[in-house]
Amino acid sequence: MRCCYDLSNGWRIDCLRGGGESSATKDDSGATVIKFGINVANPAKQEPTTNAIVEAFNKANEGKYKVEFEAADTESHNKNMKMQASDGTLPQVFWLENSQASEFQDADVLLDLTDFLNQNADVKTALAGGDAAFLTDKGQYGLPYQSNVQGIFYNKKLFDAAGVAYPTDDTTFDEFLDMIAKLKASGVTPLAIGSKNSSFAMWEFNLWLNRYGWNDTISKILAGDEKFENADLTKAFDKVQQLAKSGALPENMSTIEYFDAKQQFDDGTAAMFGTGQWDCAEFDKNIGEDIGFWWGPKFEDSDYSQETAMKVPSAPIAVSATVADNAEVKEATYAFLKFYYGKQAAEISYENAMFPATTYEGLAPASDKHAMNAMVEALDDGYTSPSAAPDQMVPSAVQQALYDGLFGVMQGTYTPQEALAKMDEAQANQ
Amino acid sequence: MHWLSKTRYKIGFLLPTLVVYTVFIIMPILIAIGYSFTKYSGIGKARFNGVDNYVRLFKDKIFWKSLTNTAIIFVVASVLLLVLSFFLALLLNNTLRFVDVSKSLVFSPAIIAPIIVGIIWVYILDPKIGVINGILRAIGASGLAQQWIGGPTLSPYSIAFIYFWQQLGYLTTIFIAGLKMIPEEVMEAVKVDGANAWQRTWHVTIPMMRSTISTVVILIITGIFKIFEIVQQTTGGGPNHLSETLVTYSYSMTFQSSDYGYGMSIATVTFLISLAITGLYFLFSRERS
Repeated sequence: MRCCYDLSNGWRIDCLRGGGESSATKDDSGATVIKFGINVANPAKQEPTTNAIVEAFNKANEGKYKVEFEAADTESHNKNMKMQASDGTLPQVFWLENSQASEFQDADVLLDLTDFLNQNADVKTALAGGDAAFLTDKGQYGLPYQSNVQGIFYNKKLFDAAGVAYPTDDTTFDEFLDMIAKLKASGVTPLAIGSKNSSFAMWEFNLWLNRYGWNDTISKILAGDEKFENADLTKAFDKVQQLAKSGALPENMSTIEYFDAKQQFDDGTAAMFGTGQWDCAEFDKNIGEDIGFWWGPKFEDSDYSQETAMKVPSAPIAVSATVADNAEVKEATYAFLKFYYGKQAAEISYENAMFPATTYEGLAPASDKHAMNAMVEALDDGYTSPSAAPDQMVPSAVQQALYDGLFGVMQGTYTPQEALAKMDEAQANQ
Repeated sequence: MHWLSKTRYKIGFLLPTLVVYTVFIIMPILIAIGYSFTKYSGIGKARFNGVDNYVRLFKDKIFWKSLTNTAIIFVVASVLLLVLSFFLALLLNNTLRFVDVSKSLVFSPAIIAPIIVGIIWVYILDPKIGVINGILRAIGASGLAQQWIGGPTLSPYSIAFIYFWQQLGYLTTIFIAGLKMIPEEVMEAVKVDGANAWQRTWHVTIPMMRSTISTVVILIITGIFKIFEIVQQTTGGGPNHLSETLVTYSYSMTFQSSDYGYGMSIATVTFLISLAITGLYFLFSRERS
C-alpha cells in the first residue's frame, strides 16, 4: 500500500493497491475464501436468491472454494467500496452502483472480465448480450447481477372493490388518471411511494422517461450536445406532476421510506406499487394470486415508441483488479462467476422468484410464483427494452439530481422545468 | 512536586495528547479543507479546482436553505435549552418530594441513541400516522393538524424541538452540578441581606455559574452543528432537501452524489461558522467578565 503525490496529474491522497503476489485466504478446510460485497445488510433475508446461489456454490466446492458475504445496506456498501478501493482491500467480487462504475474504472481497481468471458463461451451465450451494458472502451468492467424487470404491481382485489378495470398495455395516461380517481374514491392510496432516504425507489418512472425518448437522447445529453431540459423530458416530468396532483400518492410520502410504502401495498391499503422482481417473493406471501403487473401508461403526446418495456440488466457485479495478483484467488473467483452464471444458479433464481441475468432454455417460474408469472405474462408482449434503466445511465451526481427532480416534482417543490434544469446543472458540474 | 513544573516534563506530559489531537482532530480538518479545493468522487485522483466549489456553494439555493434551517434550529434549540435547562436545574436543586425520580425522568431522553429518538418522534410528528395529528383529528380539530415533519416549513422547528427534548436532561444535570458548587454560606449571606429569589438568581447564582454556563453554551453550539441522525430519521433531509441542515447536506453531497470536493466545502464552511460563533461567544463573555 502506498500514498502518492502526483505532480503531473494533480494530487491524490488515495493509497493504491500493492503490487506483487498476495497470499490467498484459506478456511479451516483449506478452501480458498473469496469475499462477495453485497448491498444488503442481511443477504439471507433480503437477497435470498443470491444467498441460495452462494450456499449452493459453497456446498458444491466444499474444501476447495468458499464465498463469504461482506454485507451492508446500499449506502454503506457504496461508501465501503470506495474506501476499500482506495486502500486496496476491495472484496474479490462486489455489487457496484452502475452510476459509479466510470469512477472505479478510472481508478483502475476493476478487473477486465473479457478474459473470463473468452474462457467461458457458454456464459457469454447465456448472458445473451446482457454483458454489453457493462462494456466500455476500457474493457468489460462488470457482468449483470440479475435481470431487472421494473414496473407497477397492482392488487386485483382492490381494483375489483373499486370497480376499476385492470390496466393493460393499451391503457393511456388519461385512463390511468381516471383509474386513480376511482381508486382514491374507494378509500385506498392509489400508488404507494416513499421518498425518505429512498429517492432511488422511482423504478416505475424509468419507463415513463424511456417512453419520452430518454434512451434516444441520453448519449447526446451526456456529450453536451443536448439538454435534459428539452420538450420531451419536460412532458415526462409534467406527467409526473399531473400524477401527484391527481392525489395518487400517499400524503406522507416525504416521511416514509420505500419499505413503508411497500408495507402499504402488502397490507392492502395501497392499490399499486412501483418496483421490480426483487419484491416478488414478498408479494406472493402477502397478496398471492391477487397480484397483477403492468408496465405503465402509454403517452399519446410522445413521439417515441410506446411499445417499450423495462427488462434491463441490473447493476453489475464487478471483480477487484487485485484478483489478478493471486492465481488461487483468481481461480476461485472465476469458478464462482462460472457457477453464478450457470444453469443451476438460474434454476435457483427462478425458485426464489428472481429473473437471472442469464437465459437458459426450459426455465420458468413455478405456478405458485404469482408475482413473477404476472411479470412473465407482461414480458410475453414482446416489447423492446433499453440497454439499461435510465437512472443507471448517468453519473452519480446526475442520478441523484434525477431522483431529487422526480420527487421534487411529486412533492411540489420543483416545477418540471426546475427539476430538469437541476439535472443540467449537475451534468455541467461533472 | 517542584520538579514537575520543569519545561521538559511539561512537554513530556503534553506531547502524547498533542500528537493524538493533531492526528485525529487537526489532520482530518486540514485534509477536509484540502479536498474542498478539489473535484473528487471519492476514488481515484482528486483534481485541484481552486475555489470553484465555494463559488458553486454561494450560488446553491439548497446550501442557503440548509444554512437557514441550521440557523432556525440553532436559535430555537439554544434559547429553549439554555433558559429551560437552567430553570429546571434551579427547581431540581431544591429539596422536594420525588426530586430524584424527576431528575431521572428528565435525564432519560439523553441516554437514548439519537437514531431511536428520531424513530420515536416520527410516530409523534408524522402528518398521517403521527400521534399529534391523530389526537387533533380525534377531537375534531383537524384544521390544526400540520405537516410537522416532511412539509416545506415546519421541519426545522420540529427538529429543534426534538433536539431540545433530547438534550434538556443532560444540560440540566450539568447546571445542577454547577449549582452544587456555589458555597451555601454565600447564598445564606445573601438571604440575610434580604435578597429575594429573583435577585439571588440574577446577582449571585448566574455570575457564580459563569464557567458552567460557558460549558453549556459551547455544548449547545457544537451539538447543534452536529445534528444528523434526527434529521435523517425524521425527514431524510426531505422533502427534496428542504429540511437539510449543513451537516446532512454535506453528507448528501459527499456520499449520495459522490461529490466529495463539494461536500467538503460545505463541511469547511460549517466548521468555520461554528468556530466563529464559539469565538464570538468567548469574546463577548470575556468582555463581560
